[in-house]
Amino acid sequence: MLRFIVRRLIVTVPMVLVVVSLTWALIRLAPGNFYTGEKPIPPAIQKNLREKYGLDKPWYVQYGKMVSNTLHGDFGLSLKYQGQPVNTILRNALPVSATVGLLAYLLALVVGIVSGTLAALRQNSKLDYSSMAVAMLGISVPNFVLGPMLVLLFSLTWYVLPPALWGGAKHLILPVLTLSGVYMAYIARLTRSGMLEVLRSNYIRTARAKGLSERHVLMHHALRGGLLPVVSFSGPALAFLVTGTVVVERIFALPGLGNYFINANFNRDEPLIIGIVAFISIVILLFNLLVDIAYGFIDPRVRY
Amino acid sequence: MKIAARVGLLVASALTALSCNSTTSAKSALYFGKIEPPQGQVMRYISGSEPESLDPQVSTGQPEARIYLALYEGLTEYHPVTGQVIPAIAERWDVNANNTEFTFYLRQTARWSNGDPITARDFVYSLRRGLSPALAARSAYLAYSIKGAQAYNEGKGRAEDIGIQAVDDYTLKITLTTPVPYLTGLVAHQFFRLVPRKAIEKHGDAWTRPENIVTCGAFKVQSWRAYDRLIVVRDPMYWDAGVVKLDQITFYPVEDTTTQMILYKAGEVDAVYNHTVPYAWVDEMRRLKDYMDKPENAIEYYMLNTKKAPTNDLRVRRAFNMAIDKDALAVYRRVVKPLTAFTPEGIFPGYPQPRGDPFDPEKARALLAEAGYRDANGKYDPKKFPVSDMEISFNTNEPNKQTAEFVQAQWKKHLQLTVPLKNVEWKTFLDSRAKLEYKGAARAGWVGDYMDPYTFLDLFSTEFGDNGTGWSPPEYVAMLREANTEHDPAKRYERLARAEVFLLAAQPIIPLYTSGSDWLKKPFVKGMYANPLTLHAWKYVYIEHDRSKWDIDDPPLSTN
Repeated sequence: MLRFIVRRLIVTVPMVLVVVSLTWALIRLAPGNFYTGEKPIPPAIQKNLREKYGLDKPWYVQYGKMVSNTLHGDFGLSLKYQGQPVNTILRNALPVSATVGLLAYLLALVVGIVSGTLAALRQNSKLDYSSMAVAMLGISVPNFVLGPMLVLLFSLTWYVLPPALWGGAKHLILPVLTLSGVYMAYIARLTRSGMLEVLRSNYIRTARAKGLSERHVLMHHALRGGLLPVVSFSGPALAFLVTGTVVVERIFALPGLGNYFINANFNRDEPLIIGIVAFISIVILLFNLLVDIAYGFIDPRVRY
Repeated sequence: MKIAARVGLLVASALTALSCNSTTSAKSALYFGKIEPPQGQVMRYISGSEPESLDPQVSTGQPEARIYLALYEGLTEYHPVTGQVIPAIAERWDVNANNTEFTFYLRQTARWSNGDPITARDFVYSLRRGLSPALAARSAYLAYSIKGAQAYNEGKGRAEDIGIQAVDDYTLKITLTTPVPYLTGLVAHQFFRLVPRKAIEKHGDAWTRPENIVTCGAFKVQSWRAYDRLIVVRDPMYWDAGVVKLDQITFYPVEDTTTQMILYKAGEVDAVYNHTVPYAWVDEMRRLKDYMDKPENAIEYYMLNTKKAPTNDLRVRRAFNMAIDKDALAVYRRVVKPLTAFTPEGIFPGYPQPRGDPFDPEKARALLAEAGYRDANGKYDPKKFPVSDMEISFNTNEPNKQTAEFVQAQWKKHLQLTVPLKNVEWKTFLDSRAKLEYKGAARAGWVGDYMDPYTFLDLFSTEFGDNGTGWSPPEYVAMLREANTEHDPAKRYERLARAEVFLLAAQPIIPLYTSGSDWLKKPFVKGMYANPLTLHAWKYVYIEHDRSKWDIDDPPLSTN
């Protein structure tokens, strides 16, 4: 198990380098650069800017610097937000995205697993049909529709919750609800189908034949197997959620990573793009690793 | 079943809420949404995108300019109503006969937020820093008319040779290479505002962080969290602190316009910046007292590629201009005024603004026939026109798309040509425009850097060589330069207008409209006006807690 983890961690480094190199090349291919704007800049000032940010150096020098920065975990200064280190930006924005993302995912897990399990236990009942209908709706309604609907009700009709901005716990409610909607629905469906499959399997029948209580069968035997699809879904989903979600952060004007990411691309802010991309890829790789480790504990058939 | 029923109920109540809202506000309400003034003298304002920096010399945008008006001052300031020059740190000034030497007399009471006195040497330092090649300030070109400035900025001269001189502690002399009659307005621009030498030398790039920053405006930084909010508070050190009424301003960098409107409606903010009301809401908003509508020092136009066929032919350029009904466009776009010239209409008092070609589809077709697109009888024949060599390119944005679709429809109707539309990502678009790679027409907008027609007309002077059209004849540049040597403002305006006539006759552009300010403020926000720059001198703004005064216009403003 330990050897497996170490091996996976070592592979992470070249994978992140491949990702940032591709990103770096793509930024180079995109027309325009960080200082182009509606007002044209005289060539002399463009030259000053290129010198200031080392863009006058040959490409391999710039690439080498980017790689070395990435390896050292220090991405340099943002081009757009002048004087601000990319690391500081990541450090300030991450807690916001992570808080909203984690809360949303926890909510989605609790509601999704409970409703999915209940639906599976009472298959083809009214409860099953209605909760799956709601889940289908949840999957189909995109968050840029759900968010404004919630805002309309809670902020503009009943005036009970703030419609946007970052502040206390009150400001978290609508973004978390909006964000968790799709995941809740997805997890409910995954749980239901996973449970249905497991409940019909031989080892459950054996457990029941042993005379175990239905509760024990469910909690100790069925859930473990039934949740496997949810676990494998959780890795990438969580990685995306905690690293910022563009739409929700924009709708609710949250100071998270998603907002930075989208603007960094529009602004051709290379160090910031590289920093965020490297960070997100590390998080995705780590979460996938965690999922694989979790498998070892949940599924007795998996061996490392 | 229960859950389904509940969801149904939720959706239904949301829809009723929506319909109720629109009907009540359309019929009875005077204002949009919740009206409850904040406690005390606190103002909450949405200022646009996240500021690039709090360093006034390095960032060029409007979102930053809105904030800098609270934090920094220069020699002069923009009048909160008219946008014209008012004194700031300079109490008064003298100009020599041919507009090449300006002497500013500074007030002796001006201080930095740390209590240090502000002297003429601070201005000398600020300008030298702004022009230093190492800082690479993008707005540095604004100072190029100052003696030695361009050479130093291009790495060919010395800082000491720049034509800015501290005669004594409170007298500053600026010497120019070419006459710049509008210099006093120009130096209100953020690039010319004072930056603190000691803090910069001590902290380097980090001087703008809240713990290090030193400012010179009516407000100082209290806290700043990127993409969240910037809080500034009244600065007791400010020379005119007695006039300042607000204790605190919170600037929110919110980009999504719907979110802005929602925050405004819910009473979470008290005002928003310009061009923020979504198109579909304008008709309803215009009826409300929140709506701030005034023409701006900004125009929208199409550039024409004068280096590529078919728009390299003057007759074609004129025809395409004459085939657009600008009045109808203004009605369609709702928040703008029609424009036939290249300077915004009604912004510069006393400027004899010329008129460009009027809307005349018949003449347009005749011109195209004359340009060779005609049948055997000599009549205009759209089939002969190489429509595949034309395009309207614009950067991706809803208003730009609406305008392009309108122009496309006009050309189809009047010239029987269906010119394709091409929407392009912002930076990619700028690149293709600067390199003259676009076909036919490309969208452009210009917000004046200062309150003078020259800020528009100067776009086509040769200096930077990429005005996006390829048009910049030396005689035009000479006309502009000569106009600026004129000391009498009225005569100078006449000469500038002559240059504009010359420009319009060559038609490297199609004027579309003068932008309208199009923003919202709550009735209790006073001392904040719809002005041509949509830049607000925050020191005059206040919260009126007496409801009886909300509907009364603001008292006239005295500025010193």
